[in-house]
Amino acid sequence: MRHRSAIREVSLDLVTIVVLFLLLVPILWVFVASVRPETDITGGGLLPTRFTFDHYAAILAKKPFLIALKNSLIVGIVVAIVTTALAMPAAYALSRFTFGGRNFFALLILGTQMLPSLAVLVPLVVIIRQIGLTNTLTALIFTHLALGMPIAVWMLKGYIDAIPKELEEAALIDGCSRLGALWRIVVPLIRPAIIAVGTFAFVLSWGEYLMALALISKSDVKTLPLALQGLFDPYSFSWGQVMAGGTIIAMPAILLFLIFRRQLVGGLLAGGVKG
Amino acid sequence: MTVAFETTTRLAPARPRRRSIVPDFLLPYGMIGPAVFVAFAIAIVPLTYAFWLSLQDWYMLRRPTPTFGGLINYKQLLQDGPLWAAFGRTWIWTIGTVFVELVLALPIALLLNRESAVARAASALILLPWVTPFIVLGFGWRFLLDSDVGPVHAFLHAIGLAGDSSILNDPVGAFAIIIFISGWKGTPFLVIALLAALKSIPEELYEAAEVDGAGPISRFIHVTMPEIWNTAITVGLVLGILAFYSFDLPWIMTKGGPQDATTLVGIAMYKAVFLDLRPAYAAAISIVMLVLLFIASLFVLKLRRRT
Repeated sequence: MRHRSAIREVSLDLVTIVVLFLLLVPILWVFVASVRPETDITGGGLLPTRFTFDHYAAILAKKPFLIALKNSLIVGIVVAIVTTALAMPAAYALSRFTFGGRNFFALLILGTQMLPSLAVLVPLVVIIRQIGLTNTLTALIFTHLALGMPIAVWMLKGYIDAIPKELEEAALIDGCSRLGALWRIVVPLIRPAIIAVGTFAFVLSWGEYLMALALISKSDVKTLPLALQGLFDPYSFSWGQVMAGGTIIAMPAILLFLIFRRQLVGGLLAGGVKG
Repeated sequence: MTVAFETTTRLAPARPRRRSIVPDFLLPYGMIGPAVFVAFAIAIVPLTYAFWLSLQDWYMLRRPTPTFGGLINYKQLLQDGPLWAAFGRTWIWTIGTVFVELVLALPIALLLNRESAVARAASALILLPWVTPFIVLGFGWRFLLDSDVGPVHAFLHAIGLAGDSSILNDPVGAFAIIIFISGWKGTPFLVIALLAALKSIPEELYEAAEVDGAGPISRFIHVTMPEIWNTAITVGLVLGILAFYSFDLPWIMTKGGPQDATTLVGIAMYKAVFLDLRPAYAAAISIVMLVLLFIASLFVLKLRRRT
């Protein structure tokens, strides 16, 4: 801003770094613990003595963890694809058409964003139990669609709003159908946003705990957060392994977020996102 | 050229020569339909069903199917002391979480409201606690607070806040520390929102205040605060709603213990379904939660400034 000295800026930068470090150190500690030997951790020293991937090797050799990894990948990928496939046409309709009930539908979709999973947990669990879908990935996938869909619709709508209508009109004149124009003109233009939305849905599903806890009890359909809990055997467990498992769950979320930050931050603010 | 001109002026009804399977007026419904269906199936249907369920008499150990019980669940609920204790705890938890978030986020947002490279990098990295799943943070903090291996425990022990066993074994301490962790996780979101609000304050307002002889503190109170007030209230409300519906963190860290000290309503509700096998009673709890939260939200929204 105005007359601010360089010294002031540098000292504020230093304060920023210290504050940021303090905020992130709990997460950093998880990562560090995942790559240091167990004796290091139990010894209580702050600095690692050596760097090791033993904990990762150990948990990736455990069958339940591998099954959970596979299940989480299946659920996450299906959720990402379906969320995007549902959100894209909905966003397009909200952006380009005026039709009866448009505002109501928009409110309904966005409203689900504000509804925490816990608020619908009991009825959803009872319904899913009555149609016999407990302990299936199908049920989990279905509930996970609610995590990212509202924000996906909202973000994509914003991006479509920014595309000049004339581009599609030109395509319509050239004999393209409305859906053809969507596919050939709009989708390529907002590809980064579509990928961001898909990854976002994946990440939300990847770390989701409550629905998985409530719907899944059999080990062959457990997802990663439940498997991580399973590593916590009260009598013999390794902190290093738990932290390695935690890192595997946290990494996709952190990496994908840092990559797509620009696309996601606006959407986060617009929708108020479920944590 | 003339053809092109005509179609662009008469926008939508470019009906001729376009072979489409669905009539035009149905197209938007077809496109938005699937998303609306999901929203219906995941929000409206469960909420309606929860209301119906809350009027049933259904204790699964006694009978396998629900029968109509009228207000029986609500009557029991009114006399359920531990549940009201959990409600009280949840309000403390909610207000505490939002308080921690405001106290941490405001100075950080002011600190990051600069153009330096460090500030820009920091406003990206700061979001990490927000995007990291609860399951990781919960176990991470259990690790940090563990009495054998946790450095934070060592620190709390040194300053006398924790005894020989972890603070998580102490009812008051556990509740306080998990509130702090809950606020810590939500802080980045508020920081980013406040930062956006700060950046949109016109520079002229500060200049005018300075001309009027306002010092930094007076500028903050009379220019900055009013401009970011509504953002703080709105985002605070969103974070408050999320906190009110907390489950993951206290469940992962202490399973609601020690001695029910961290049993929030969410946990009480979960236990009502999965331990007591009383889904109808749990449904009544979730309806009461919704109603109380709705009333509280109306009060919070009254705090907004009219513009």
